[in-house]
Amino acid sequence: MELMDFFTDYTLRTITLGTAILGAICGMLGSFAVLRKQSLLGDAISHAALPGIAIAFLITGVKDANYILLGALVSGLIGTFWIKGIVKRTRLKSDTALGLILSLFFGFGMLLLTFIQKMPNANQAGLDKYLFGQAATLVEKDVWIMAVVTGVSLLVLLLFWKELKLLLFDEDYTKTLGFNTRFLDILITTFIVLAIVLGLQTVGVVLMSAMLLAPAAAARQWTNSLGVMIILASIFGALSGVFGTAISASQNNLSTGPVIVLVAATFVVISFVFSPGRGLLFREIRFRRNRRELHFKKTLTFMYHIAKNHENVSHPHAIRILNNFQGFTRKTLNKLEEDQFVQITGTDWAMTEKGYLEAESIFNQIGKDND
Amino acid sequence: MTNAQIEIQLIAALVSIACAIPGTFLVLRKMAMISDAISHAILPGIVLGFFITQDLNSPLLILLAALTGVITVVLVEFIQKTGLVKEDTAIGLVFPALFSIGVILIAKNANDVHLDIDAVLLGELAFAPFDRLLISGADMGPKSLWVIGIILVITLTLLFLFFKEMKLSTFDKGLATTLGFSPILLHYGLMTVSSVTIVGAFDAVGAVLVVALIIAPAATAYLLTDDLRKMLVLSCLFGVFSAISGYWMANILDASIAGSMTTVLGIVFLIAYLFSPKQGVLFGFFRERQQRIEVSLLIFLLHLQNHTEQEERHVNHLREHINWQKVRAKTVLELAAKNNLVQTSNNIVSLTEKGAEFTEEALKYITTNKATAIEELKERFFLFRG
Repeated sequence: MELMDFFTDYTLRTITLGTAILGAICGMLGSFAVLRKQSLLGDAISHAALPGIAIAFLITGVKDANYILLGALVSGLIGTFWIKGIVKRTRLKSDTALGLILSLFFGFGMLLLTFIQKMPNANQAGLDKYLFGQAATLVEKDVWIMAVVTGVSLLVLLLFWKELKLLLFDEDYTKTLGFNTRFLDILITTFIVLAIVLGLQTVGVVLMSAMLLAPAAAARQWTNSLGVMIILASIFGALSGVFGTAISASQNNLSTGPVIVLVAATFVVISFVFSPGRGLLFREIRFRRNRRELHFKKTLTFMYHIAKNHENVSHPHAIRILNNFQGFTRKTLNKLEEDQFVQITGTDWAMTEKGYLEAESIFNQIGKDND
Repeated sequence: MTNAQIEIQLIAALVSIACAIPGTFLVLRKMAMISDAISHAILPGIVLGFFITQDLNSPLLILLAALTGVITVVLVEFIQKTGLVKEDTAIGLVFPALFSIGVILIAKNANDVHLDIDAVLLGELAFAPFDRLLISGADMGPKSLWVIGIILVITLTLLFLFFKEMKLSTFDKGLATTLGFSPILLHYGLMTVSSVTIVGAFDAVGAVLVVALIIAPAATAYLLTDDLRKMLVLSCLFGVFSAISGYWMANILDASIAGSMTTVLGIVFLIAYLFSPKQGVLFGFFRERQQRIEVSLLIFLLHLQNHTEQEERHVNHLREHINWQKVRAKTVLELAAKNNLVQTSNNIVSLTEKGAEFTEEALKYITTNKATAIEELKERFFLFRG
């Protein structure tokens, strides 16, 4: 597939647009899931949607995407609220409840799917596309549905912006202010379920949770502001969709879903390592710099204590006596000489006037902090 | 029953026992979702192992895949330790990425790999009896029976050897550490056993349903007992029950065996969820109601104790004074009379001697705020509960 085809090929354009919109809505709503510590809820919901897909087909007997989405939505919601019920009413913890609903619903869904396959008039080919997703089956109508849902959820988000923000960061406070937290909870959960159900056709049951989490987890690393995070997550999600589709279209035998997930995962890895505020790389650099500075200051104050006892502060001492001291390294000594805080002649060091003053001010500073 | 049918049920039963044992500990340690992560993340390990060995039941493949499982756990823990994301997000990020790599590996090498992506998710128990272990030409039974049998024997041996260590580190990590057991060693031991079991069961029931076999029996048992030994036995029983009845259900419906096993597990869990005597939803509902009536009763008795004047103790007055609905007032009054705490003459209610004594003692407990003591007091005085 040539690069130009990417813009001219109708099918490919539809698919790219679809995955981009899907990525954007998943990033947007996924931010809420990640911040509410409900990351794995997405995984559970997407699996729980499967029996709904099968039952919708069993009832209607046709493979109409609308009925199937509706069935998936209903069964996803039932799963979600059952999880909440289990956590609230029994001693089982949320991880058990999630795993339980996820696997039990999925198993039941598989039972129904295999049952449908054996039915005589079964025109079921294509139902299992919901397992792994087939972006290639996206048509313009699907993209329109996605766009409408994205628009609606964006509208709701803007309408309830401050309530939802408050709910995320301090649920008890939200309640005391008189907001209906139950309603807000159901509202945001319903939209998350909706986003997941929309994505099933494209990336499938198994990988849907990553679509929801990865862009949000990546965006979280770059900012501490909710608004910025949601925008960033949408951009990351959309880019994952576009790049994922492009890469999978350029090769044979590459299904779109897994590639999109891997692109999103790459965003996460890059954010984890290179984000300036929280990233691992800059954290390590900061850590080392602090340690070096601490060594530097410790050595200087240690020298200050020795020099203090002499009339002439620049009286030379053997380097040897520093060896017993913990913070001392050859590097710090070199740095001290470079800054002209000490002078080194042979195996001796002597403090300069400048070094003495600096050390005195550090020492006084420490004394002040301790008071 | 044909030979193949017996073999399938035997494999299913062994798989469910092998899953239920590590599952019990995973549920108690609040790590149930890690089994979901492992079951998906071992896919690349299985595919790579398959490239090397060309045999889904080879021990090397199982070890390679189990290693991938342990690596997943290490990776998840590494991400958790960086503190960049919340704990569960780390799980949710790692396994889809690894699973994607597996799916892509299969798709890119579709011609060389005889691995069906559907089989990965679902497994196909029905075909298990056809892949037989032949030792110098002699038929020793299905290969997967041997694989899961060996895994089960190892799991059981480890369970008996390290039962008390596991028990201690599950319920009191701090104490286990001070007593000199290494929680890290036990943790990774459990993770390794889980990974090996998942890989072994994978072939039979697939990636997602193995999670059901791990979590559901243990969760159901946890709703029914407080004893670790009983919980282990119960979860094995539930597993075996669902394996056998699931097989027959699949037989009747002509559908996936793994799917119907899970469905049976779901039904068993639903029953326990609703009707468990201590944890069940219905029991919770009744207990709540009982508490409510008994609190009302106590308020009623305190009111009687406070008022010696007759008009305050008139039946009609009580209703409006304490502001109860008619039905509730009647229930409370009847309960009090049944327990010989009050007597009514000429529509005037008064405390009996026993009632006075009860109220006196209850008041003492209320002022000292000991909720457990009041339960004991109720046990002593009440003939009938609310």
